Order: sequence, then structure tokens, then C-alpha cells
Amino acid sequence: MSASHPPVRRYRPPAPLGGRRHASGGLARRSAGAFAFLAPALIVIGLFVIWPMVSALRLSFTDASGFGREEWVGLENYVTVFTDPDILNAVVNTVQYTVLFTPAAVLAALGLALLLVNPHLPFRSFFRTALFVPFVISFAVAAFAWSYLIDPQVGLLNHWLGGLGIRMGNVLQDPTLAMPAVAFVAVWKLFGFYFVIFLAGLQDIPSSLYEAARVDGAGPWSRFRHVTLPLLSNTMAFVLVFAMIAALQAFDQIYVMTGGGPYGHTQTVVMEIYESGFRKLEVGFASALSYVLLAATLILSLVQFVFFGRREKDLSS
Amino acid sequence: MTRMRTLLGAGAAALALTATGCSGGGDADGPVELTFWHGYTEADGDVLEEIVEEFNASHEDITIKTEVKTWAGIDDTLLTALSAQEGPDLVAMPSERLPVYASRGAFVPLDEFYEGDDAAANLVPGAVDMVEVEGEKYGVPAGFVPLAVYYDTALFAEAGVEEFPQTWEQWVEVAERLTVDENGDGTPERYGVVLPDHATVANGLWPTLFYGNGGDVVEDGRAVIDSPENAATLEFWRSAIEDGAISPTGVDGVGADELFGGGKAAMTVGGPWMASIAAENGIDYAIAPIPAGPEAQAASAIGISMATTVDTGDAEREAAQEFFSFFLDEANAVKWSLGSGWPPLRTDIPAEEVASNPVVASLTEMADLGRPLLPGVVNSVDVLTAVDELTQQALAGGDVDALLAQAQADIEAALE
Amino acid sequence: MSLAATSRRGRRAPKPSTVLATIAVVAVSAVVLLPIAIIVLTAFKPVAEVNAFPPSLFPHEWTLDNLRQVTSDLPFLRLTANSFVFAGGVTAFALTFDSLAAYALARMDFTGRRALLIVIIATLMIPFQATLIPLYQLVADLGWVNSYAGLIAPRAADAFGIFFLRQFFLALPRDVDAAARIDGASEFRVFRSIVLPNAVPALLTLGLFTFVNNWNDLLWPLVFTTEAEMGTITSGLTLLTGPSGIVPHGVMMAGSLLAILPLVIAFLFIQRRFIENIATTGLK
Repeated sequence: MSASHPPVRRYRPPAPLGGRRHASGGLARRSAGAFAFLAPALIVIGLFVIWPMVSALRLSFTDASGFGREEWVGLENYVTVFTDPDILNAVVNTVQYTVLFTPAAVLAALGLALLLVNPHLPFRSFFRTALFVPFVISFAVAAFAWSYLIDPQVGLLNHWLGGLGIRMGNVLQDPTLAMPAVAFVAVWKLFGFYFVIFLAGLQDIPSSLYEAARVDGAGPWSRFRHVTLPLLSNTMAFVLVFAMIAALQAFDQIYVMTGGGPYGHTQTVVMEIYESGFRKLEVGFASALSYVLLAATLILSLVQFVFFGRREKDLSS
Repeated sequence: MTRMRTLLGAGAAALALTATGCSGGGDADGPVELTFWHGYTEADGDVLEEIVEEFNASHEDITIKTEVKTWAGIDDTLLTALSAQEGPDLVAMPSERLPVYASRGAFVPLDEFYEGDDAAANLVPGAVDMVEVEGEKYGVPAGFVPLAVYYDTALFAEAGVEEFPQTWEQWVEVAERLTVDENGDGTPERYGVVLPDHATVANGLWPTLFYGNGGDVVEDGRAVIDSPENAATLEFWRSAIEDGAISPTGVDGVGADELFGGGKAAMTVGGPWMASIAAENGIDYAIAPIPAGPEAQAASAIGISMATTVDTGDAEREAAQEFFSFFLDEANAVKWSLGSGWPPLRTDIPAEEVASNPVVASLTEMADLGRPLLPGVVNSVDVLTAVDELTQQALAGGDVDALLAQAQADIEAALE
Repeated sequence: MSLAATSRRGRRAPKPSTVLATIAVVAVSAVVLLPIAIIVLTAFKPVAEVNAFPPSLFPHEWTLDNLRQVTSDLPFLRLTANSFVFAGGVTAFALTFDSLAAYALARMDFTGRRALLIVIIATLMIPFQATLIPLYQLVADLGWVNSYAGLIAPRAADAFGIFFLRQFFLALPRDVDAAARIDGASEFRVFRSIVLPNAVPALLTLGLFTFVNNWNDLLWPLVFTTEAEMGTITSGLTLLTGPSGIVPHGVMMAGSLLAILPLVIAFLFIQRRFIENIATTGLK
């Protein structure tokens, strides 16, 4: 594709996250029509997602093991969630992971999108594809490949860096390096998806706005702040929320690379959920922990939506 | 709850016109069919298949169908299968996992079988300890072998080591001789021994070393890990590894096996599969008992147990017991031992019968050293995590006394 | 004429910022592609080289043994076929159901729209490990264990797809469909003939995303299929682990290579349309 502009059409302001409001009237009739559209998806989600979620909620108030006898224990599991030091450790680790992953992934994605929107960059098509390929690899395979690369005995990276005089040591068993390492693998795998979304968002900003800013004497940083960022805010909100949700649920590569170690330094909340449920057969407790995670994620996401919603209002004024 | 589920299921089934797939429910007529999940692959798996086939052939009314998964795979999938009554009838699993499932009611008690069957009377006692939970027996041993040292005889000959070390001091000394650091950069190209400091083979290395100095992890249901003996053990090995660089640190059990297979270590502590790994990698190996510590010579045992799940009817449970009888009778015990490379599960098998397999012969000689790991402990997951955290941090130079106190507290909490 | 066009016509040296940008992008791409190279190259290394020290990127001796072992250890073709059925089936249903629901949430007014949206998004916030057991019990009650129906049905619609397409539909101009409605077209007509054709880029994006994620999904096919033959290639790879827990690197890389090959081929095939057209995804 040559560096042409998207097809000319009347410029529309960004879609607000809350959706537009319609003229009222005939609500009941329209509701019935809407239901027909919603039915297939709602049946599937209601039956196969929401119903198990309700089941899990019920389980969280029991000492169930998934099979056999179960007894009602009320809020006991939830009390354990908030008082058990291992859970606290997992929460701290999960927060640490989220703080490492989310900005890194989003900034990398945004930075590369800004670089690749430049029409003069050679081989843009190749780079766009290359940066997206990790997304296609599964987390387990990615974790396996990276573990092999940084293996203290036979790792290629260790060998190359050793040649440059940098001793990597045993990264995955180092209490300070293990968490950044597993966060890095996730950034590697997921940033390509966010990158593509940012690229789309950037390409949709009409160059006329940049021209106007340039004419007004704005430099590159000023143009970025006053043209790019505001018009990207919806995209940014979308990417941030989903990146954060992905970070809060980190599991696959941690399971493969460190198993939660060294001595619990990479144990995340979902690792605890998996261990409690599948290793210790404490399904009731695992469900309670899952619901606390759900509540935390929901609150954090709503906060983000409200924050970006407010910025939108500022812009449209 | 079950009523609601059935209602929902019935309603959804009415909508579901495409209900394909049949559930393997037991039929009243016809042969009893048992599904058997196990993790024996390659050579072991082939021998087990043979035994199962012979059983099927000789028992017209029973058919056993095996499903081979990995041991980890069984752990991941058994719970969900049982939760929907879609579980197998027979399952084999690492012995320390059995108490978790048994205590939650996943397995059928087998005391009746043990009273009635004469094979059961002659089983290795340690193996039987592994299947007992809260006074009842919930399984049947399928394998029980002490950890042993697998070493590279070529490297030993090269270094002029004639006799395998018998004590810890000798062991460290030999390991130092076999450690090679040609370029003097502090990282040996080849280590004398590989001692993993977490997730060790069958979680048994450090219990073994503790036993050697008269210490233990859990005794009679009480945490005894915080002891001067264990402190001395940890100090001994930490300085041995630090001073002589005889072993890499931060390695786990699987990594240790890989290092040995890759020729990067002259000795490793492992199980019978090391024989095939050595053979695959062209390493001439021999097996020796783990050297004695100051107080005792003992080795933690690797165990596999078989059990009957509660997803079975009476007919299936009887059929399962017949299979256990068959599996443990003298002829099959010998066949299984020779084929799998693990010592026989019966104590009344004369040594000559298993002499044809040298691995089995060596391991059978040292079978008395085997001690079951955490028998009957339901929350072995947390206990073993506590041990791992203790050993990994101790070997990294942490404060041994504080770490032992922490481990003691953690294990006490886990045993409640 | 913009400055950009002028400099394209002349044979001037590239601007320093472009040079720096190119270097940065090349460096990042190298890091990004390194593990891919490792997967591809290690798949062809003999065992001795995989654990050799010092390690090298390229094999000294190329071997097909690893690939051979993968295809002999696993019912490989069957597993790949299952992956296609699973990922393809889920994608087909999800695109259909999600777009219908997204359209309703974006363009139609009804009571409880806000609340429904929040409930749908909330379903993304609970880890799958928590709902796995009740879900499995439900599917077993339906009699669908070890069947394609049971494997596909729980994924036939998903919250991410609905939210993603809703954002897209919200940004599409309404002039044309307003005109169509005045002409008396039913809502479904509008959806099918006017909105959907304009949604092809978003549908392609979501389709690829859904297909890749389900192809690579490990936990659900692993737990759901108790028979080895019904598994997917991703769940099948776990069987390559040896009895002691050792994962033979060469064999596992070979298996991984075979597992991702269909994905990479499909991706390269549609990547031009996909990445270029994502420009109008409307997530702005």
C-alpha cells in the first residue's frame, strides 16, 4: 500500500465510549427488536459463562473440592483471602507485574506505531508483520522459547551477552530479575496487538489537523500533545483497560517459566487460584479468590473509563 | 444444587438437538469396561499395556481401556473429570498426590482388598504407607524406588576414582575432583554433581539429606523440620557447594536430569528413567546408593500409586480389585519390575528373578533404604513448598535458623 | 503539496530522524523475531546440539528427527484437524453472534442497555480457572463430553468480540442507514446490507484474533477432551513431555513449529488486507 490517505469522508469525532443517545419513543418496540439481535450471543454467554460464574460464586461460600461432599462456610474463604500472607504476597506480585507490564506494553506499542506511521520508513510492510508475529505464538511456546534463550547453562542470550562481558546468571531464579523477565515475555507477546490498534488510530487522524498545528508554529512535541494524544484517547482507553485486564490475570508464561518462584516471588493471584483449585482441591477458596480479583478488576476498569470519559468531555468543550 | 443443575441440563438438552458424543456410563449387561488413566510412556508404557492386554484376554467379562497422559496432565484433568462424574475408573498418580484426592473422597477405600488378597500381604511396607490416609488404604502401589545416584563411569575412570563414595565427606571430595573449570572463570564447564535446590526429583532430595543427618520434615503428623540436625545439614551442603563449586545453584530436578544427560555433570540423584536418558545420550553409567550421612543412610522414595475412583459402580470396583490382584501376583510383579526398571513391589521375590535387568538388580539391592515421603499428609503441596523455599534460600546464603523457623511455622500451618 | 510529498520525489538523503527511526525499528524487530528464529532453528537441531555449550543459533547439522518424532508420538494430523474445527467453528459462530449483539448495543435503544454492557464486560474479568469446573459440569450434563459441540459451544460468543465490534459500529456514519430506514428497510436489512459490508476490516481483525486465541488455547481443550484423539494440537503438545518431566527441547520446538505453521500461513495470507484495513477499525 502506498502512503495514501484513507478514503475521503466527512470527518467524524471519535466515538465516545458511552455511546450516543437516541431519540426516545417506541422504546418497547425497539427493545423487542434488539432482543432478537442479542439473543444468540446472550444465550451462549448466559449459559456458558454467566451460569458458571454464578455457580462459582455459590462455591465461594463453601469448602467444596469440586466433587464429593461440600459444606457451607459462609464468608470464611473471603476472610482467608484478606488475611493469608501467601495471598497478600500474590496480590503484591500481581500489582508489581501489572505496573511493569502495562506501561511497557502500551508505550512500546504506541512508540512503534508512531515510528511506523512515518511514510518514509523503508520496508514498513515487513516491520508491521514482524512486530505482530509474536501475537500468533501461544504463551506456553513463547515462554518455552524465552526460557531456552536465557537458560544459564545453554542459553544463547547468556552466551552472547557473556561475550560482551555481561553476566546474566540464572535470571529466572533471581528474586529481583524473575518478575521483570516474565513481564517482559508478556510484553513481547502482546504489544503487537496493541501496536496494530494504535496504528489504526494514528492513521485516522487527518493530516489537515497536523498542518493547521504546524502553521500555528507548533513543534513535534506540541503537535503530539495537542493533536495526537487527544484524538487517541479512546484508543488509549481501550488498550489500557484490556492490557490491565490481561496483566491482572497473568498465568501461562509464569507457570511455564518459574512456577511462581523463586520462593514465591512471581506467584500471582491466578497462580494461587490455580494451585488452590487444582493442586490442593480447595475449589471453594479458589472461587472466593477469583471473585475478589473480579471485583478489583471491575473497579479499576470503571475508574479508567470514568477518567477517559472526563477527558473526552473536556475535549469536546 | 444438583437438582437445579439437572433441571437446567434437562432444559438445555431439550434445546440441544445436536447432542453428539456418548457418555461412558456403565452398562448392566456385557463385559465391565474400566478406563485406566496413567502416565507411563515409552518402555514402561509398553510393558503396562502388555500386562493389561493379558488381563483382558484372561478375563472375559472385564475389559480395561488405558488412556495415556502425562503425570502432570492427569493432575490437571482428573479434578474436572471427577466433578462431572466423567472420571476414569482406575487412575495412577505420583504417590504424594494420592492423599489430597483420597481425603476429599475421590477414591474408594481398599481395606477389603488388602484383607482378602495374599499379594497384598507381601508388599513393600513403605509403598503401602504411601497409600494410607487417616488409617484407611485408598490405593495400591504401582512403583516404589529409592532415589539413587546415577553417575558417569567414564568420567569417574578418567579422574581415577575407583570406589564410589560411601559418606558425605567422601562424596563432596569426589565431586570436587570431578568438577572441571578449565578457563578459571568461576563457572565450571562440568560439575561433579548436580544438587537441585527446589522442585527436586520426586521432591525427595532434601528429605534424603535431612534423613542422613538424623533429621526429618514431618514425623507422626507433626512438623519437625526446625532441628539442629537439619540446620547442620543445610550448612554442610551450602558450604560444600559454595567452596568447591561442585554443583550449579538455582537448578530444579528436571534441570538436573538435563544437565546430567548433557554431560555437564558427573553425578545426579534421580530415578530409574535416568538409565534411558543416559543410554540416549551415550553415557556409560552406573547406579549407587546415596552416600550415608553422619547419622544414617536413607533415601526418599519415588512412588506411584493406583486407585479406584468413586465414579464407579459395584461391578467396576470388583473388576478393579481383580486387576490389582492380577497386577500384583508374582509373575506380573516380576514382569512389571523387569520391564519398568523399578524394583519389585513384593518382598517375596528372590533376587535372581530380577537379575536379568541390571538397573533393577542395583535398585533392588538398595531398596531397603527407601523411605516414603510424607505418607498420609493431605496438604503435601504446602509442606513441599515450604521445604523448597527453605532449601533454595538456604543454599543462596540465607540465614538458616530464621529460614528453618519460617519453614516450621509454614508446615505447622499446612498440617492443621 | 505537503513537505512529505516533495521530499519523496527528489533523491535527497533520508532525514536523520528517519534513519534513527529505522535503526530503532530494526533493533526492536530483531529482539522480537529472535525467539521465533530459535523455535524454527532448534526444531532442526539434533539432541546433542540442543544442549551443547557453547550454544549456536544455527544448527551445524540439520536433522528431521525431531519432526519425525512429533508426528510419530502424536496423532498429529487428527489433532491439527481438531484444531481447525475448534478454532474455525468458534470463529464462525463468534463473528456472527458477536456482530449481531454488538449492533444491537451500538445502534439500538432498549432498556437496560448500559447494565447489559457492564455485565458482558464483567465476564472478561474472572479467570477461566474459576469457571472451568462448573462449565465442565454443565457441558457434561448436556452429554457433550469429548464432542466438537461441547468444545465449541462455550466460545460461540464472547465479550471481547462484542465490545470490540460495538466500538466499531458506534463510529460508522449513520447517513446511509438513516436513509434506508426512512425507505422502510427493517433493522436486520440495515444490518446485513449496509453496516456489515462496511465492517469487513473489523470482522477480519476480530476473526484473526479469535482464531489465533482459540487455536492456542490450552486449558479448555486439555481439560475438556479426555480422549487423546479429540484434543487439539496445542493440548497435544503437552504429551511430548518425558516421564521424568523433561521436555525434549528439539522435539518440543518441532511440535511448536508444526502447531503455529497453519496460523502463520493464514496470517501472512491475509495480513495485507488485515493490517492495512485496520485503519478503519474505528477505535479512534
